[in-house]
Amino acid sequence: MNMEVIGKSVIRKEAQEKVTGRALYTHDYHSTRKLSGRVVLSPYAHARITSIDTSNARKVTGVRAILTGENIALTGESMRDRPPLATDKVRYHGEAVVLVVADTPAQGDLAASLINIQYELLPVVHTPTQAFQNNAPLVHERLGEYKKEKDVYPVPGTNIAHHVKIRKGNVEKGLAESSVTVEAEYSFSPSDHAAMETRSSIAEIRPDGTIKIMTSSQAPFMVKQLIASYFNEDLGKIVVDTPLVGGAYGGKAAVQLELLAYLGSKAVGGLPVEIFNEREQDIIMSPCHIGLDAKVKIGADPNGIIKAMKIQFLWDGGAYSDKLIDLTRAGAVDCTGPYKVENVWCDSYGMYTNHTYATPFRGFSHSELSFAIERTVDLLAKKLQIDPLELRYRNAIKPGHTTPTRVLLNQSNVGNLQECIEKLRKLIRWEEGQVKEINERLVRVKGISCSWKTSTIDPNAPSGVILTFNRDGSINLMSGVVEIGTGTKTVLAQILAEKMKMNVEKIHVRMKVDTQTTPEHWKTVASRGIYMAGRALLEAADDVIAQLKNIASIVLRAPTEDLEVANSRVFIKDNPRIGVDFKEICYGYQYPNGNSIGGQIIGRGNFILRHLTYLDPETGEGNPGPEWTVAAYGVEVEFDRRDLTYRLIRAASVIDIGIVLNEKAALGQVMGAMSMGLSFAGRETFYYDELGQVLNPQLRTYRPLRYGENPEYLVDFVYTPDLQAAYGARGVGEHGLLGMPGALGNALSLAANVSLHHLPLTPELIWKTKAGKV
Amino acid sequence: MLSFDFDYYRPKTLQEAVGLFQNADRNGKKPMYISGATELLTLGRINLAFTEAAIDLKDIVEGNVMQFEQGYLVIGANLTLTKIEEANLFPLLTNTSSNIADHTARGKITLGGNICGQIFYREAVLPFLLADSQVVIVGPEGVTVKPLNEIFNEQLILKKGEFLIQVATDDRYIHAPFISIKRRQQWETGYPLITVAALKIDGEVRTAFSGLCPFPFRSKKMEAALNNHELSVKARIQSALAEVPSPILNDVEGSSEYRLFVLQNLLEDVLGAFD
Repeated sequence: MNMEVIGKSVIRKEAQEKVTGRALYTHDYHSTRKLSGRVVLSPYAHARITSIDTSNARKVTGVRAILTGENIALTGESMRDRPPLATDKVRYHGEAVVLVVADTPAQGDLAASLINIQYELLPVVHTPTQAFQNNAPLVHERLGEYKKEKDVYPVPGTNIAHHVKIRKGNVEKGLAESSVTVEAEYSFSPSDHAAMETRSSIAEIRPDGTIKIMTSSQAPFMVKQLIASYFNEDLGKIVVDTPLVGGAYGGKAAVQLELLAYLGSKAVGGLPVEIFNEREQDIIMSPCHIGLDAKVKIGADPNGIIKAMKIQFLWDGGAYSDKLIDLTRAGAVDCTGPYKVENVWCDSYGMYTNHTYATPFRGFSHSELSFAIERTVDLLAKKLQIDPLELRYRNAIKPGHTTPTRVLLNQSNVGNLQECIEKLRKLIRWEEGQVKEINERLVRVKGISCSWKTSTIDPNAPSGVILTFNRDGSINLMSGVVEIGTGTKTVLAQILAEKMKMNVEKIHVRMKVDTQTTPEHWKTVASRGIYMAGRALLEAADDVIAQLKNIASIVLRAPTEDLEVANSRVFIKDNPRIGVDFKEICYGYQYPNGNSIGGQIIGRGNFILRHLTYLDPETGEGNPGPEWTVAAYGVEVEFDRRDLTYRLIRAASVIDIGIVLNEKAALGQVMGAMSMGLSFAGRETFYYDELGQVLNPQLRTYRPLRYGENPEYLVDFVYTPDLQAAYGARGVGEHGLLGMPGALGNALSLAANVSLHHLPLTPELIWKTKAGKV
Repeated sequence: MLSFDFDYYRPKTLQEAVGLFQNADRNGKKPMYISGATELLTLGRINLAFTEAAIDLKDIVEGNVMQFEQGYLVIGANLTLTKIEEANLFPLLTNTSSNIADHTARGKITLGGNICGQIFYREAVLPFLLADSQVVIVGPEGVTVKPLNEIFNEQLILKKGEFLIQVATDDRYIHAPFISIKRRQQWETGYPLITVAALKIDGEVRTAFSGLCPFPFRSKKMEAALNNHELSVKARIQSALAEVPSPILNDVEGSSEYRLFVLQNLLEDVLGAFD
């Protein structure tokens, strides 16, 4: 395919605003009447609330309302287990207990400090493994009574919020036939997304009953739906605006502050109320990056061909199930990693603990499960004395194989992992060896990993696009995809420019999403922005082209079949000089005597994924997502064998991307994701004390990777088109991240000569593991 | 955002500053001397710092000097770490202070603020502890000059209304061989797991630490152990480890056991550097 605009590094449409500091995010929108909602957070991880005294707080000047949790409906995306403000008991450190609405933040804070809440401490559930024990304290005593969607399987009387079973083949037989098995356990605590923009939401209920919400969200349409459903509001009266979002990474897919802002506004007669997260509140109150305890057993034949995998995931969902249900399922459907495995037994449990509740983290359970799987694959390679890259190559998933949920893969719905591995081999100069001695202390070591990912989104998730014209023939593009920093909207403009064969500068993208006038895009998650909106856009473009040709065929007195669209013109294919500009027809064509025909051209397109199904509750069989993007990774470290410290030297990703739509944007996504993955793998975690309090809820002590600590990033692509996608493009927003923890863990395990099973991979962890103290 | 209001003063002279402090104190305003104000702003917003009268020392000329006088290097307490780093008149100080916080913060954090701050690492004091520096203190009783090691015990012991305005260091120490190493939990960002600063003078190694205990310190006992040439390097380090004051920090940056492992290697590097 010879393409004009696709593949080019078109500069982001919002770039000028962002680099000049003029871009506005939710908290930047000021209104003089904006009231401030301040939240009193629980200092304890698990405690009964015995009393709340707000009498002194009510006397503070400027206080308009003080809300506590009674009589507020339970919320939760798949299961209604979460009071927006804690009632009866608190279940995590940082949980919202009281909401104060005041004229200014300072008044609100002062009032909040005067609220006296008495607690009675309860035993704390610290880990999902502890939560899974028979005698564990219960986080939810009334689990059986919660309203839930039909494919949610909680186990009342336990801390199991959801259980997904994968039963494929016969795992016991597979293990029995294996000549070698490896088995290991892994664990890591929850952590944060640390987006630059902390979350904020503003809600207002207008006198006519319209509920206006502005929010920093990946899911404005979900906000609308959930508020309507939780609080019995009229769906059409809820309008959600989302301006630019300053980083999200899954953290803004959950709906939380919107509910508090709505409740706050309702309590003050509909005046606008803002809930703005300070960094500490963003870290402990708002949902976090999930933790995991995993057990993995792999059986293989003497050649390393994997015969069976038996897996248990205990996801640390924290106090509420909100997105945990989806995360538990997503982890189950791709549980084996990108390998052909005939016999799979996986129990994926979404566990309640007394931690901040979980929400997706870029990669949606996949970087987490990959750490466990890829470390175990390396253990297998070590045991069999087979080159770990070769072992992965031999087992790589391919068309004709089936996934754990028994989806038959074909040339389109899975990428080419073996080609990724081959390219990685060259990229990281594997032939030079995995270990290179620098001196007595320093050694350079490479670790590798692979990943795959499908996007387990709702089977009926929609995406729509509307195109309108300006009178100069330029086009306005409206899609419900939120610009969360990925450049998606610019890429949509490129797709349209390519399709219409026109200058991308003549395409104007609406950055803000407004749920009343923007067609719905389900959620801006799961690397599905381009995938779904791209298809909707192509349909809208076809619609516009057909309309343009219809009117042009009258003006040009030629059949539509003879017409071509390019360069903002419709013309006769075999005689391009005979044609008409968009601007002459996009608002109707006017004859010299004034007669007019046609009219304003409006294009529409939509897309819905096909053939997705729910999973069978007993076997897990079902089609969870549209395609599997595959990738191979390498990380090279320089390790100090005395100090057990290390530097990141190189990190590499080879991703089967289908096609590159915008080169620099794609590279930026992959490198950014790798950086996040290394940060998660190497440093980011919450530290808790014995009461379950988060000890590092500040950027002083919670430290994402800084510029200068980063390795050199190497990125390469493989191009296996996905025939269902616009121009064959596969999702790429998350994939650079997925293999980083596994590859880093593999490199360091080899370098330190000790098997590492926890994150983050700090020098102290290595020291403790070597000393047998983990 | 700070949830409290405070009066802001910007005195031009030492006397004026002290007078403002005393006046505010009489009015119960819990006065605080500030210069870079990084702690007031960052700790104030989470209610770990509070004042109703901030007395900003920035404009006081004595606090902005950086010059050699009669064999001493005199450094004003109002100078930012960045300025000190750029001038680089005391290389050990540059090495140590250029690893404090981050580039942006060092443009605001002052020498006096780092030494007198609440955040207990106070790494900028380490070189001066090693160099037996003199500190110039201003207060209700006027200007006094004292040996740092006499009035520094975990922190600079100041009486109410006193502030640090200058630090003077004998030229001999400025040119002494030195080493400074900051080891963090991971990579190049964050508080010290342990920062060690060391110099060698008159054949003896001096060491000072931050991050090892919840206060910075220089230990004569540890130095005596490290300088005991009758013992092997290994044995010297072991006996120095036995003299580490307590408590050893045990926090999110690292466990106390691990800190001892790191310390052992750091001491090896320190002694190795002066061989």
